[in-house]
Amino acid sequence: MIENKAAAITIKSSMKNTIIELLEKAINKEIFDAVIIPMETPAKDSFVYVLVKDKNLLKDSNPLPPVMFVQGAKAVSSITRLGEGNLKIAAILRPCEIRAAIELAKVGQTNLDNITLISMDCPGVLPYPDFLSDPKKYKKLFEEAVEKWDNKLMRPVCQICNHSSMVSGDIHFATLGINKDKMYLIPNSSKGKNLIEKLELPLKENIESWQKKVKEISEKRHGKRKKTHKDLKTKIGGIDNFVDTFSNCINCHNCMRVCPVCFCRLCYFDSDKVKHNSEDYLDRAETKGSLRFLPDTSLFHIGRMSHMSLSCVSCGSCEDACPMAIPVAQVFSMIADETQELFNYVSGRDLKEPIPLVAYKEEELRDMEDAHD
Amino acid sequence: MERKIGVYLCECGPNISEKVDLDRVKKEISSIDDVAVVEKFKLLCSADGKKYLEEQIKNHNLTHLVIAACSPKEHEITFMEVCENADLNPYLFQLANIREQCAWITADKEEATKKAIRIVKAAVGRVKYHSSLEKKEIESIPDVLVIGGGIAGIEASLQLASSKRKVFLVEKTSELGGLIKNFEKTFGDMKSATELIDNKIQNINTNENIKVLTNCEVGEVIGFFGNFEIKIKTTTGENEPIEFNVGAIVVATGSQLFNPEKTPQFGYSKLDNVFTSLEFEKMNLTKNITLKNGKTPTSVAFIHCVGREEKGYCSGICCLYSLKYASYLKEKLPKVKIINLYSDLCIPGKKDEKFFNEVKSKNVDFIRSSDVEVEKNKNQLKINFKNKEGKKNSILVDMVVLAPAIEPTIDAVKIAEITGISQDKEGFFAEEHEKLNPISTSTEGIYIAGCAQGPKNISETIIQSEAAAGKILSSLIPGKKIKPEVKTSVISESLCIGCKTCLTVCSYGAITFDETKKISVVNEVICRGCGNCVAACPSGAASIKHFKFNQIYQELLEAVK
Repeated sequence: MIENKAAAITIKSSMKNTIIELLEKAINKEIFDAVIIPMETPAKDSFVYVLVKDKNLLKDSNPLPPVMFVQGAKAVSSITRLGEGNLKIAAILRPCEIRAAIELAKVGQTNLDNITLISMDCPGVLPYPDFLSDPKKYKKLFEEAVEKWDNKLMRPVCQICNHSSMVSGDIHFATLGINKDKMYLIPNSSKGKNLIEKLELPLKENIESWQKKVKEISEKRHGKRKKTHKDLKTKIGGIDNFVDTFSNCINCHNCMRVCPVCFCRLCYFDSDKVKHNSEDYLDRAETKGSLRFLPDTSLFHIGRMSHMSLSCVSCGSCEDACPMAIPVAQVFSMIADETQELFNYVSGRDLKEPIPLVAYKEEELRDMEDAHD
Repeated sequence: MERKIGVYLCECGPNISEKVDLDRVKKEISSIDDVAVVEKFKLLCSADGKKYLEEQIKNHNLTHLVIAACSPKEHEITFMEVCENADLNPYLFQLANIREQCAWITADKEEATKKAIRIVKAAVGRVKYHSSLEKKEIESIPDVLVIGGGIAGIEASLQLASSKRKVFLVEKTSELGGLIKNFEKTFGDMKSATELIDNKIQNINTNENIKVLTNCEVGEVIGFFGNFEIKIKTTTGENEPIEFNVGAIVVATGSQLFNPEKTPQFGYSKLDNVFTSLEFEKMNLTKNITLKNGKTPTSVAFIHCVGREEKGYCSGICCLYSLKYASYLKEKLPKVKIINLYSDLCIPGKKDEKFFNEVKSKNVDFIRSSDVEVEKNKNQLKINFKNKEGKKNSILVDMVVLAPAIEPTIDAVKIAEITGISQDKEGFFAEEHEKLNPISTSTEGIYIAGCAQGPKNISETIIQSEAAAGKILSSLIPGKKIKPEVKTSVISESLCIGCKTCLTVCSYGAITFDETKKISVVNEVICRGCGNCVAACPSGAASIKHFKFNQIYQELLEAVK
């Protein structure tokens, strides 16, 4: 768990360069063999995750890019799904990406044994449809927004994110609530501590001011989140409103494909199990009066909600990927908050906390037995 | 392939025909696609009925069969055999229960008929999606594992070995004999207990069919009736685990005494000269009955029913062994005063009443009492109680012997987990049926004997051990093939994400993890088809043969349409 002490390093030119220098140092000292980090593409209009060993290439990376094209948990999972591997890797991710990676680790979809998860205070990310319309302009806008810690241009779910500085990885790079020329390294595991020790940084800074600032921001956001969800509920509550909200869905399943916690190899809704013979469709059309094609659109979203909402980290990837501008992420974040609350669970909070629906307790089965007495 | 479904409606004498208009059912069902023939018959499970069905299947070249009759519990196997005799795969058959779930419970004939139509339609809808399943046969192992080397385990081992079965007798302590080792005599007949148990141990040790494994405990049990894979660990942890296979298991892990520290009013462990029955028994066997200061007691009180209220059951043997102790005392210390404080005396059986009267006649007092408390009074113990009229009273004695309730051994939880058998609310191993199947468990091939199943005396224990041996000898026959479950689980290699959730929910140890492919794999021989993994699988990779998604979906669709 987080200790109340951090190591401090001085920000010389920019936070970005400070982090890159620190990573270079860690590679030199052989603490890490490689780093997975966002990097701008040569065309300068997009950002991708790259696994780099070469320190010269690391210079071009950007630990805090303005957009999230690929959710970082998916990148980490691709590297380690088949086992931990020999390389010691540092993964530079946003808090929601780390939380998704932790959710995946809980169902064996990534192995974090040799990965050091590094998070930062997250200002949010821009919706990529906006960014793609004018990358240069939005890069500038993003920088200004980070400066003012103003998130009104960010993804709608970023604007109501109350976990934007959540520390659930191995180490957190904190900048909020402290002097502009300083960055705190807050360890959250033995791996995080090890990094600080090997870098020979003294662990002596008090993190109270950062904690205070984070608390202030997340409380404010929490209030906003509750209000937004409440408003949303009046708009989508009830089956008619729900169907209306999703009526534009073209069944492309993009939301599922980009979702970091949608771990199934083959989605049930892509499988033959939801394809029926024409008689069945005729039957259903007859019973209902008519049948919309493609069918089972609402079922897909409801199904995904029931399947994924306990692990949803409200990253907003699904909403950016929706070609029909359906507020998928906002709806999911609302549902996720409610289902997670039921089990007093916060997705990605702690690797040791099992996902409620896949953790079986003997006494729960006893409850079922009693019901049949 | 063209489907030809035959649907046969059983009148079950008047049982179904009186409540369900089978002619209407016939008419409705006849119009369903792929249904080639619908007929009703007086009693399909009769010899005539079975012959008729066989002929029908052959004459109409039926590809699927639906029988609307009674509960599958009653005659599913009967009709599956009919299918086999008619060369139709028995899994292409579905039994629609229109008796227990319809005719017997629906008063209105119109309603019952409508319901019967739905039930049969659902069965027809389902059977269309059935596929042929093949039965497998494997060799059974006639050897037996007996867990626990007390009287129950000893007796079961001797019975099995006398029929030339190889028995592995596992005992966690260093010697056989269990609790009886501590007894001088058995109650009632007052014959030597030491002699009884020593003779039996002697017989065990000289029997070459019995392999005794002392200082050992069961580490792992995987498999099923006819073929359990057993791993035995030494309690010292020194030696390598011993592995072998057996066909059946007798669990005879015995009992222990309720800890009287949980009932502080009796002063146990706080006051000198307050003993448990077992401590008294040991003292009697190994040395003289004396007080802590070495003196001989002049008065002894037996407090019955210690922990009975806490446990919620009568242990049934404490009254009788308390009488035995009174006998010991009167024989060795004829002048000692003996008082029994009891709430109810439990003296059942054809001989024990006589034993009670015998002991009582030796000037042993019996006081019906409640709210019993023990406290120190100078060098003596003062027992405060309410008599049967509810009046407060007290007596002074030198020694108090408590008769605590019998409870399962602490190992019971571990044994239950390892073997997969269940425990009842009291923690004893649960019998399959309290009255009809008192030594079988929910797992075929695992039997319980002795106090592990509930408190009992020696003769009752021996009866159970003999019964368990009998069950095994009559069902686990050398050379007989075992037919493992056909309706097993299957995990799709392409859908499994390798999260290992199924491994934690499988009660039979039937799932292993393939580390190279990173997927779960079902051992079809061990799988019992319970469906736990199917329900738990987060990615829909697990399914169960004969309960496939489409089969259930179509059945439901027709039932609710």
